[in-house]
Amino acid sequence: MSKAPLISARHISKTYTAKGAAKVTALTSVSLDFAAGEFSAIAGPSGSGKSTLLNIIGTLDAPTSGEVLYEGRKVSGLPPEEAADFRLRALGFIFQAYNLIPVLTAVENAEYPLVLQGVPAAERRARALEVLGWVGMESMADRRPNLLSGGQQQRVAVARSIVHRPMVVLADEPTANLDSKTAASLLDVMESLNKERAVTFVFSSHDPAVLSRARRVLHLHDGKLAPA
Amino acid sequence: MLRLAWRNVCRNLRRSLITVASMACGLAAIMFGQSMIKSVQRQLIEKATSSITGHLQVQNRSIKEYKFPDKYIDDPAPVEAVLARQAGVRAFGKRINVTGLVSSPAGSVGAMICAVEPEKEKEITTISSYLTQGRYLGTSDHEAVMGDKIAQRLDLRLGEKVVLMAQADDGSMGAEAFRVVGIYHTGSTTFDGQFIYVPLAGGQALLATGRKVNQIVVRLDDIGLAERTRQELMEKLGNRPVQVLRWLDIDHEIVAIQTFQNAILDIVLLIVFAIVALGVLNTLLMSLFERVREFGVLMAIGARPRWVMKLVLAESVILGFVGTLLGLALGCTLITYYGKAGLHLAVGDALSYFLPFPKVIYLRFAWMSHWRALLAVLVVSILAALPPALRACRLNPSEALRHV
Ligand SMILES: Nc1ncnc2c1ncn2[C@@H]1O[C@H](COP(=O)(O)OP(=O)(O)OP(=O)(O)O)[C@@H](O)[C@H]1O
Ligand SMILES: [Mg+2]
Repeated sequence: MSKAPLISARHISKTYTAKGAAKVTALTSVSLDFAAGEFSAIAGPSGSGKSTLLNIIGTLDAPTSGEVLYEGRKVSGLPPEEAADFRLRALGFIFQAYNLIPVLTAVENAEYPLVLQGVPAAERRARALEVLGWVGMESMADRRPNLLSGGQQQRVAVARSIVHRPMVVLADEPTANLDSKTAASLLDVMESLNKERAVTFVFSSHDPAVLSRARRVLHLHDGKLAPA
Repeated sequence: MLRLAWRNVCRNLRRSLITVASMACGLAAIMFGQSMIKSVQRQLIEKATSSITGHLQVQNRSIKEYKFPDKYIDDPAPVEAVLARQAGVRAFGKRINVTGLVSSPAGSVGAMICAVEPEKEKEITTISSYLTQGRYLGTSDHEAVMGDKIAQRLDLRLGEKVVLMAQADDGSMGAEAFRVVGIYHTGSTTFDGQFIYVPLAGGQALLATGRKVNQIVVRLDDIGLAERTRQELMEKLGNRPVQVLRWLDIDHEIVAIQTFQNAILDIVLLIVFAIVALGVLNTLLMSLFERVREFGVLMAIGARPRWVMKLVLAESVILGFVGTLLGLALGCTLITYYGKAGLHLAVGDALSYFLPFPKVIYLRFAWMSHWRALLAVLVVSILAALPPALRACRLNPSEALRHV
């Protein structure tokens, strides 16, 4: 028996039943695996279920059926407090926009996972500054998000997503709010982290230029995974 | 977390300040109201006890209507002996209080005749300090001091004679002539228009009572000693046909006024609390709603739902503390200021009908009430945070993140 994959999603289905509205099936029996060290993308047009899938993989939402396993251990369906602890330990997140806590400076944002983990102040500050260096943001460590450009904010978000050395960074359309040049340089940062620091990335996008950077692309269509 | 909570409070500084200010003003208003009512009540008690009732009275045991004693203490001397040895008693004096008729050539009016021991009465009540014409009682048994309204109505001047009439102890009608030696003005319609003071010996002659009196009035070192001293005196006087009464047993009206005022105060407090609570609730709900996405981010990066709840609570505790402190400072400033400058109160005019009541009230702190208000504002501000905090705690991270 081979070693369990880093992430394994099995027959994930998700149906939203909004109040007073018809049921929406966002995902239908999606199964996929991710291995450590991947730099992979989930592609698909708007409404195809990319965010839904990433949220379920990231334990932010529960699947209607199916399960998510990390290294063979089931994490879907954990109670909220345990799911939070799991994310704090094992996952990093980057979102499309408004990612950072506006009242905290760049370095305070970057170190926040370590604050939640209870890492002593001096150590977490040093680690946050280090990762800010990796993403080229150490000179703006003391700025608040409103004084940073969109691309700079996303770099800080990248720093925050890796500061606690997670198993995987899940990024839902991290470049959607950026122009193509800024998007490309953010992808440069992510790619170098993947190569030099062995950070596993799974991100979503519908932009072909962005998708072309991924080493593996999974296509979603109407909630179904297209055959490779 | 405290750092984040503090920064969140400072983020929308104007809104936080408005919340804090509304709490502070609410608390200050409550403290001011409490202080005002309590100061009025203090004055009321002070004036009532120092102008007529004294702190304690000894009366015949079978009297039911303490304000108008209709029976006599036959032998006051042993009671006086006990009072003279009682700790906490500053002064005491015998009195006869009866209703009667005051007549002059110009007419007659009904009046409260107070036959007092002039020198002792001076130590117990302040009536001698209100004299505007003539002098106080002292040289002869057939002198009288009266309010200016009676004097006016009977067209009396200093040195002229009045005839007092009242039902004597034996049931006959007593009548004696007294010379007007002093006229006082207290500002109280009741006192100025209905009270006339004569020496005890003159009163006893009028009423043919011999050495009997119908009350012995006691002034204590401290009004707070009233109940304890009453009990001690009751023990020592237990075998005599007398009873010891406190000022509040005699003056039911004051107690009724107090109860009424306290009830009004409670209602006002409740309204102010409701306003403060709704204000805080509104601010917190607004700030929560604006930040749903942010809570989603916090939960995504690993904050437990309960941690987010604590964050919201911490923010309101900060607001509550700052608001309470500011309110306390503002309240203290107001009370201190009006404690020095005095406050002209319409209620003073109204009450002065019954008692010589000052028109200007000097505010005092009423900490017994203040600290309750303080605690209540603090608790209310935290309780108001509970519903939004619980909502934040129940948010699903993916839904929170979709929120814009
Ligand atoms: N909370 C929800 N309630 C009801 N329907 C939802 C909800 N969230 C998503 N959906 C629906 O599920 C489907 C998939 O949505 P999802 O956000 O996963 O797509 P997406 O691929 O991320 O799209 P986009 O590129 O616009 O972000 C859509 O039809 C969407 O309308
Ligand atoms: Mg999406």
